[in-house]
Amino acid sequence: MKRILSLLRRAPDVHFGPLEQQLLSILWTRGSATVREVVDDGEIKLAYTTVMTTMDRLFKKQILNRVAEGRAFRYSPRYSQAELEKAAVGQTIRRLLGSSATAASLPLSYLVEAVSEHDAGLLDDLQRLLDQKRRELRSEIRGDRRSGDRRSKETR
Amino acid sequence: MFAARCIGVSLAVFVLLYVFLSLLISQGWKLMRHTLRPSSARGAADLLFALRVLPLGLSVLVTVAFTLPSFLLLEPRSTGEAVGTAPLALGVCCLVLLGAGVARAALAQWRASRALVGWLNGSALMERHIKESGNAVPIFRIGNDAPTLTVAGVCAPKVLVSEVAIAALTSRELRTALRHEIAHAIRYDNLRKLLFRFSAFPAMDELEHAWSEETEMAADDAAVFSFHDALDLAAALIKVSRLGPVESSGELTMALLHSSTALSARVHRLVAWDQAHKPQSRGRWFYVVPAVAAFVIAAVMTYGSVLSQMHVVTEWLVR
Repeated sequence: MKRILSLLRRAPDVHFGPLEQQLLSILWTRGSATVREVVDDGEIKLAYTTVMTTMDRLFKKQILNRVAEGRAFRYSPRYSQAELEKAAVGQTIRRLLGSSATAASLPLSYLVEAVSEHDAGLLDDLQRLLDQKRRELRSEIRGDRRSGDRRSKETR
Repeated sequence: MFAARCIGVSLAVFVLLYVFLSLLISQGWKLMRHTLRPSSARGAADLLFALRVLPLGLSVLVTVAFTLPSFLLLEPRSTGEAVGTAPLALGVCCLVLLGAGVARAALAQWRASRALVGWLNGSALMERHIKESGNAVPIFRIGNDAPTLTVAGVCAPKVLVSEVAIAALTSRELRTALRHEIAHAIRYDNLRKLLFRFSAFPAMDELEHAWSEETEMAADDAAVFSFHDALDLAAALIKVSRLGPVESSGELTMALLHSSTALSARVHRLVAWDQAHKPQSRGRWFYVVPAVAAFVIAAVMTYGSVLSQMHVVTEWLVR
């Protein structure tokens, strides 16, 4: 939590472009990599310099760590995926609330609306589950009755 | 001066023990629950309640049964010794702690009573559920500006059902939901909550929340006797949560639905209900009796030496 809060305080932006996101997901999977390793991996079909510039930008944003390895750098993520996602959500809400004093209540109402929609969806899911169980119970009772009737006919 | 020292030392021992045990419980309750693994929700709720009130209970027991007698019997009355800085400071802390506890509990009780009077205004008695003890739990039909379904009242709990709940639920769903609320009333869950208010400690919120969840599940278990009942109660939960957002129905009350996060877990638990795994209504407290008896016998047999050791501890505290 402290790490996330410090990230929120320090990092100017935790929202990333498509290439930045792609590089981050590669680094989360691999743990660490040099620019050459990322390019040779073949997942990103871009020039070495483009990848190098983007990784350097992520380092300057304090999202990546780097250590010298020969003439190049080995990059590794400073934060886990979950930590960055939490920080991004927190920053979005802070930005919404802080956009202007008069508009502060508006985004919050959107948020409440979104949560309510989520709750309604959850209730619908639970209702479907309940209906399914009720159907199962009814068919079980019918099956029991039928087998009971059959048995009583046989005894007669 | 002797009386002042006696009170100061007793309060100091109480507060030291209370804080130490509270810290221990607030950090170690999860481990205890994991180790003991109660077989039912009721067992889990009872265990969590026992752990929650353990610091207060044990501190009172040690103070009354050991600290006070050891001081009265073994401390020479003739010495003109002062109270001492440490017992004085700790005694003041203890009085502040107890005062805050009394104030919190009194405030909660006052709010709960005021809310109950408001809800009962214009209400009608529906029926009375007779408890095993012979006392009755009254069920009131109340207006719509009150919680949908709840138990209110500390020493004489009452079940309150709003008009909207009666209209929304089928008779079977309502009956099962009422059984859930009656289970809370029979177990005096509001009184337990009042005890939590009295014995407040900052890091106990998580334990209280866990107790609350387990208590709800225990009440679900008490209300359900068949798979049909389980589905009825699940339907009642969903319908009640559709009636309005889940919000606190007031202090010292037990609503049918107390948190939206628990709803999903409870419904999933109910639709997976299994007759074979229906928890027994009688707990396993029978096994606790020999342990308590052994503790009492040991305490009586070693009482003299315990008192003298306690006196050594209090002497160290006074120094």
